[in-house]
Amino acid sequence: MEERDTLLIADDVMINREMLKDIFEGKYKILEAANGEEAIELLENNKDKIALLFLDLVMPKKTGLDVMHYMSLNDMINIIPVIMITGEATVESDVRAYELGAADIIYKPFEPEVVIRRAKNIIELYQHRISIENELELRTKELYESKKKLEENNNFLVNALSSVVEFRSLESGEHIQRVKSFTRIMLKHWRALYGQRQFKDEQIELIVDASALHDIGKIAIPDVILLKPGRLTDEEYAEMKKHTIYGCLMLEKFKQDENEFYRYCYDICRYHHERYDGRGYPDGLKGEKIPVWAQIVSIVDVFDALINKRVYKDSFSIDEAFAMIHNGECGCFSPKLLDCFDDAKEDLTIESKKLAQKE
Amino acid sequence: MVEELYQNIGGDYQKAISRMQDDERIKKYLRFFLADESYKQLEDAIEAGDCDSAFRGAHTLKGVSQNMAFASLSKIVEQITEELRAKDFETAKETFKTVAEEYKKVIDEINRVI
Repeated sequence: MEERDTLLIADDVMINREMLKDIFEGKYKILEAANGEEAIELLENNKDKIALLFLDLVMPKKTGLDVMHYMSLNDMINIIPVIMITGEATVESDVRAYELGAADIIYKPFEPEVVIRRAKNIIELYQHRISIENELELRTKELYESKKKLEENNNFLVNALSSVVEFRSLESGEHIQRVKSFTRIMLKHWRALYGQRQFKDEQIELIVDASALHDIGKIAIPDVILLKPGRLTDEEYAEMKKHTIYGCLMLEKFKQDENEFYRYCYDICRYHHERYDGRGYPDGLKGEKIPVWAQIVSIVDVFDALINKRVYKDSFSIDEAFAMIHNGECGCFSPKLLDCFDDAKEDLTIESKKLAQKE
Repeated sequence: MVEELYQNIGGDYQKAISRMQDDERIKKYLRFFLADESYKQLEDAIEAGDCDSAFRGAHTLKGVSQNMAFASLSKIVEQITEELRAKDFETAKETFKTVAEEYKKVIDEINRVI
């Protein structure tokens, strides 16, 4: 950055300008303005060089207050400190000057030692503050960029992992995309119904990402079971159910630390086949012991299976799907979750149509 | 010589020297003072009955004479400035007579010295 080595002295009285000039001779380059208009012009043309502005209040063709107003509008007031020069202390003009952003006020007659000290302090203060702000801005930008990078990498990995499942299980390729969208809708309705403190936006996005991995354990299931067109035997079904555990084992292998995202992934992988009445698998968890995010992915997973065609069944309409879920034909869910599901019905319908069009 | 000037006009030489450092520099400012137009503005405005313009002239003259450490002149100019600020033009017109005397004293001294 260019060094600020110039003082601007704006005063209509030549003697006053000369006195300040003498005080700073050899220390700074000096620019002079005999009225407000000249001051504004010099500011505009030298805004990267001026370290300090001495400004008289009472001047022809735009007053000192006009100059300060201009500086405020043009983002100069926080960069170029203004020392107001004034003949007398009237409370109104002093307050107004500080309000408009003057760094300090000095009264005539000028005492050179005092003027030099004040000017030096203020210049240092401003330059220090500006350099801190620049540093901070730079750091914030770096942080923001590295966070964005991390998020991109994260997204890439989540998508890569979930498409592995799609590939092997021959599920409709968009099932995972729909589970994500439906999960987001349900979380937002949950938050709207049960209070803003439930989920922050960031949490919602983490859970949505985690929902994509709900069936990741299926890649450990042998082809003969996973891809079997007909009904599974009891033994095969028992093995199939283990995809919830396999998913967790995999997650444990590549977990880095116990963070929030890992928690959601783990809970969703493990508990998305639990039932509210405790008759689900793998752990038979009951009621609110099942984390809400796992409950949500569970209902969304069932809903999506119902409204789409699978090898073993035709698709149901949305109304049919809602009726079946409410009847308890397809699992068992908490009353709170079912209320939320009803609340989200319209949005879920719109979203499923929108996604169907894309496919 | 400059010190004598300050004595004759009721000025504060010590202050002047501390601000302007030496007699040569003071002389430079004495010349500037001769060229300063604020007294003329005040005089014209008093004559024309223009209170606002008179105030601005007085205000500027006050600052300048304070900076020059012309104590007596500053004092009377300060008085007229306040009178004009309060729009008390009649009183100010009276006060101006003393301002004119003090100002003339200063100008004569400056012309004698430089």
